Amino acid sequence: MPRIAGVDIPEQKKIRYSLRYIYGIGPKFADEILAETGIDPDTKAKDLSDQEVSRIAEIIDSGYVVEGVLRRQIQQNIQRLRDIRSYRGERHRRGLPVRGQRTRCNARTRKGRKKTVAGKKGVKG
Amino acid sequence: MSRSLKKGPYVDEKLYTKVMRQQDTGARQPIRTWARSCTVVPEFVGTTFQVHNGRHFIDVFITEDMVGHKLGEFSPTRLFRGHTNKKEGIRGGKK
Repeated sequence: MPRIAGVDIPEQKKIRYSLRYIYGIGPKFADEILAETGIDPDTKAKDLSDQEVSRIAEIIDSGYVVEGVLRRQIQQNIQRLRDIRSYRGERHRRGLPVRGQRTRCNARTRKGRKKTVAGKKGVKG
Repeated sequence: MSRSLKKGPYVDEKLYTKVMRQQDTGARQPIRTWARSCTVVPEFVGTTFQVHNGRHFIDVFITEDMVGHKLGEFSPTRLFRGHTNKKEGIRGGKK
């Protein structure tokens, strides 16, 4: 199994799709990388030669921020917002939506599972 | 939607001149302002503002990291003091 950018082991799929298993590489970057290498995007990942694999790895290393580095970068950006005590940083700290969405209902992705409060409307207390 | 680059950042002109004047004289007292929508430009670094939040003036000391944000981002307009507790009754009401 080919191994690109650290731990990632994409598999039986076309390389174009399997590249997306790397954190930080989506449809756009996958195609971009393959265009740069000149590899046919429709070859299966297992059919790639070692040479081709290392060529892909090389390009990702040189021009793309992926995996751990990217994750760290994102965390740093959030940390900065927290440190300067901005509104957005505060929302991150509280685990509430950051971009002005409503929180009266929904917002479950940020707030997590519902915490039912007895006596609130709709709940028989 | 972000602001058009053509226009450049929005900086409250009166506030800007005030900061400049203060830097010339070397005065260091905080500047009271209502210009929450004013972008923090690099010239502001090191200045202390008191940004109005609709009720009080909140002290904001400008650091380098704050450049590019708006003054209002550092002066919260809402105060969340926890949900009311049914058993203890409504806590204090609005304050």
